[in-house]
Amino acid sequence: MAEMPKVHDRVLLALFSLGLAVVFSGGFLNHAPNRLATGVAYPLSQAPALEAAVAMTGLCGLALLSFAKGQKLRTFGTTLAAALILWGSLAGAGHFAAILMQTGPPAARASLGPAFWTLAGVAILAIVDAVQRGSFSFLARVGIGGAFCAGFFLMAAAGDFDSLSLAREFWNNRGIFVSELLHHLGLVCAAIFFALMIGAPLTVLVLRKKAAAGFVFASLGILQTIPSIALFGVLIAPMSRLSELLPLLRGLGINGTGPAPAVLALTLYSLLPLVRGFYTGFSEVAIEVKDAAAAIGFGWRRRFIEVELPLALPALISGLRVVTIQAIGLASVAALIGAGGLGTFIFQGIGQYALDLVLVGAIPVILLALLANFIFEMLLGLARRNL
Amino acid sequence: MIELCNVSRNFGPTPAVADFSLKIESGAFFVLIGPSGCGKSTVLRMINAMILPDKGKIEIHGQDIRETEPEKLRRGIGYVIQSAGLFPHWTAADNILAVPRLLKWSPSKSAARLDALVAMLGIDPALLKRYPKQLSGGQQQRIGVARALAADPDIILMDEPFAALDPVSRVALQHEISGIHAESGKTIVFVTHDMDEGLRLATGMAVMNNGRLIQAGTPASILLAPADDFVRDFLGGEALQLRLLDLVPVRKLMKPGKTRATETIAAEASLKSALNLMLASRRMSLCVADESGARLGEIHLNDIVARRDAR
Repeated sequence: MAEMPKVHDRVLLALFSLGLAVVFSGGFLNHAPNRLATGVAYPLSQAPALEAAVAMTGLCGLALLSFAKGQKLRTFGTTLAAALILWGSLAGAGHFAAILMQTGPPAARASLGPAFWTLAGVAILAIVDAVQRGSFSFLARVGIGGAFCAGFFLMAAAGDFDSLSLAREFWNNRGIFVSELLHHLGLVCAAIFFALMIGAPLTVLVLRKKAAAGFVFASLGILQTIPSIALFGVLIAPMSRLSELLPLLRGLGINGTGPAPAVLALTLYSLLPLVRGFYTGFSEVAIEVKDAAAAIGFGWRRRFIEVELPLALPALISGLRVVTIQAIGLASVAALIGAGGLGTFIFQGIGQYALDLVLVGAIPVILLALLANFIFEMLLGLARRNL
Repeated sequence: MIELCNVSRNFGPTPAVADFSLKIESGAFFVLIGPSGCGKSTVLRMINAMILPDKGKIEIHGQDIRETEPEKLRRGIGYVIQSAGLFPHWTAADNILAVPRLLKWSPSKSAARLDALVAMLGIDPALLKRYPKQLSGGQQQRIGVARALAADPDIILMDEPFAALDPVSRVALQHEISGIHAESGKTIVFVTHDMDEGLRLATGMAVMNNGRLIQAGTPASILLAPADDFVRDFLGGEALQLRLLDLVPVRKLMKPGKTRATETIAAEASLKSALNLMLASRRMSLCVADESGARLGEIHLNDIVARRDAR
């Protein structure tokens, strides 16, 4: 009797099963006469045959690879299979939409369905998993990421996505997209700047006075538990009162709504993870190392810059990473109080029942968070190099 | 010379060091010994102003240490601690040259000093580019000792430097530091709770308990006349007499002349080694020979048992 083939990678098999289930049960593309109408969901099987076949080949490739024994074969095979899934789905969706839109009214919309998102998600997860297990070098990671981005932009430039409503929404908003993106980044950077300005002295305080540590962490913990929308709302009244009382603040554009309360709220949220990360970083520098530095004649300033700071750096970077990623996400909510940013698209989209417009805001937020994570991972690797 | 005059230091309500006076002559290998928590490390750390006394004063070469800036004072005093305390983010070479860097030595002077230290302590030059976590405990402590010696200070403070090492590394480093002391004439103040280590290294010794100085003197004088029961117990109780034998060379008690003894012992070997050889060879007497092997005389068990004036 033939032996049962052994599964060497359960993740790939799970991804394959998920992809397969959704491809056969969910729509790949949704075609509606206008924004509000429900429309018809078309499965992948009705998409242009070549592209659909490429995507399915990639998906079945994942299933086969989960039985492959060699780690190297699995890593490279998975990257290739994921590329097939991603290119097949993207091209399939774009070309399928173009065909559907030829017949429909001008206000018709072709939006991406669950099967597309699942396939894209499966492909990305498979790549991330393969890259992590393959322990690629920094250059290889950037190369793989760059290749995928390049392919995407080439297809976009060739007009492959022009008929998709997501691309249309993006194109309609292209003028304000860049400014809202910069605005979003501005909110995040301002919040982190102020969090550092307040967090650094607070860290010194909790390190010097252990008695203060409990009080500081408890207060910051309470701030952290206030839901974000509530905090934004709560800040409106005192901030507008303050701006009424102080013309100088009003002159600076500080108001109950807009960027000022948003930055304040984001700063307050950043404080706890930041101070906790910094505190852990500095208190975990071995006592005998600090002691030895002092005993051989380092002054406190040199000791801080040359010994404590480099040794605490990985923890400091981890703290900043948490805070940055959190602020990128929370800044989307700030659009509710008129602070602008990518959240603007999300709330506009919800208001107009234009789900593709929501994605114009949401996808860049996710990508920004992933990019920030990637950059901080690299910095962390550099800081840990010799530790 | 290091002189501590009526020094006291409390940590909270508990006195760590109380009314402590001590003179350490230049060139001494001075061992501060006592049980854990007796205040010996506190005394050591007061010498380089890591801990300031509440009362009393400390002088180095006749100068009150409070008159010197602490950083400047410490750069002139070598310091070694139990865990080596190397900077984990610096290579071994950078660690060794930490103090010369603080003193802004020229690169050529630093490089020459590094070569000299590597030769002096028998450090494998291949280790110099490594980071501390890539070194064994013994290698780390060797680097730690080299760091203390780097700027060629007159005084070196060592706080239980070899306590965490394996016996082989410990003995090797004790030997190394003893040789460096003999060659350089530096003053070494050495804290330990290990009596064997103390006796092996010390030219001068102070026994401490509960923050107080109980007895100071040469190792032999303390062994021969313990000040009280505490010192006697700490010296090893029943083993005290055997330890004493370790301090006296055979040369001192041998009788010159002809001998019929067949087993030979070196004149510079300790009485303890002689007794050991007698027990092992079941002889009552041994032939004493000098380094060249020439017979100098004889030592008899009775000489050891009835020894007078072993000092």
